[in-house]
Amino acid sequence: MLVVAACEPRDSETPANGPRFDGTAYQPIYASPAELARIESQPGRALRRPGKIYVKDNYLFVNDLGEGIHIIDNSDPASPRKVSFLRILANYDMAVKGSYLYADNASDLVVLDIRDPLNIKVVKRIEKAIPQSDYPPYANVWFECVDKGKGAVVGWEKVNVSSPTACFR
Amino acid sequence: MKKAIFRFRFDFWVLAALVVLLGGCDAGFTSADMSPGAQTGTGGSMARFALAGNTLYIATKQSLDVYDVSQADSPVKIAKTDLGVGVETIFPYRNNLYIGANDGMYIFDNAQPDKPRLLTKYTHIMSCDPVVVQGNYAYVTLRTGVACRQFNSVSLLEVIDISSPSNPRLIHSTPMDSPYGLGVDGTRLFVGEGSKGLKLFDISNPAQPKLMKFRSDIPTYDVIPYRSTLIVTGEKGIFQYRYDDKDRFDFLSKIPVE
Repeated sequence: MLVVAACEPRDSETPANGPRFDGTAYQPIYASPAELARIESQPGRALRRPGKIYVKDNYLFVNDLGEGIHIIDNSDPASPRKVSFLRILANYDMAVKGSYLYADNASDLVVLDIRDPLNIKVVKRIEKAIPQSDYPPYANVWFECVDKGKGAVVGWEKVNVSSPTACFR
Repeated sequence: MKKAIFRFRFDFWVLAALVVLLGGCDAGFTSADMSPGAQTGTGGSMARFALAGNTLYIATKQSLDVYDVSQADSPVKIAKTDLGVGVETIFPYRNNLYIGANDGMYIFDNAQPDKPRLLTKYTHIMSCDPVVVQGNYAYVTLRTGVACRQFNSVSLLEVIDISSPSNPRLIHSTPMDSPYGLGVDGTRLFVGEGSKGLKLFDISNPAQPKLMKFRSDIPTYDVIPYRSTLIVTGEKGIFQYRYDDKDRFDFLSKIPVE
């Protein structure tokens, strides 16, 4: 990447190379290992922030940014039907082979048996398969530096702050 | 009620039979058409995960990782190619992999999945935006304002002749507003313009895409053309349209963001 994520000691003044400070910064949202590993089927629910999509036969999979995957029965595209929602924190990508779904769960690659979408099972977890960024997915912003001791970063929240944070990009 | 959703063995043989029966209908014209009639599904152009047969490709921020998924429930990593730059999207087509990275489009020969072989790095485009392929042409969108294109100022749709994959040639370039994902099917090219909408092009002549419609009411992050249905994902929800190779573009349904 051409952008540089910088972590610099907080100064009384805004660093010369930092972005313009507008009173906001991004704060990491952390999840504990146990919370991250809790993957489960939930009843179909509303779309919040639709991300990537994937089709397999009559089923449409819709990622809800960072939250999981909607499974939709799309046998009639004029009348799609929500079947279930798979809670998978820090998820953005997916692919399906047979009755197995591959998904990212923060830095882990998980394999889910989705034969019964209302009762999916994690059949494999490959840890640290997918390198994560320790900065938010936006350019020219201030953010609170990631403290890995607090868990995995599963999202970023824009908050009001009185002075620039220690990290920026 | 329990319901087995993937009767894939049955589907496979039915599809295999159809492919045989329909013969020439399988022109390889669906976006991300990896293996018709097989067990794997189809992703959009923004995908970082892609399946081709028994191989799962993952474009991570640093590398192209290859997993063998012959045993679908137990992926085994068989290759890792460090590209040294951010990899953003992956699109398998026939025997090649088309990778959208920060510094251009990489084309790999994946005839041997455990040994992806770099055919070319097409650096005319400094971009991290997606690529789709049909026949001898790759369609790429380049969006300005994103981190990896901060030194460029024009958003573009480019058509690249890849009939010789080791020697790609730019044959067309047209300005765009804020392009994201795209999809190609036969004579139709669909380009998402993010919150600005969706553009439909006639690509009967791939070297001269002709804008047919600009629908500013359909915010589009990515699309999948699938069985004559265009599936659109964007900030307002999932929209579906029925299209054909003429003027048809009929609304089918919407799953709204709530």
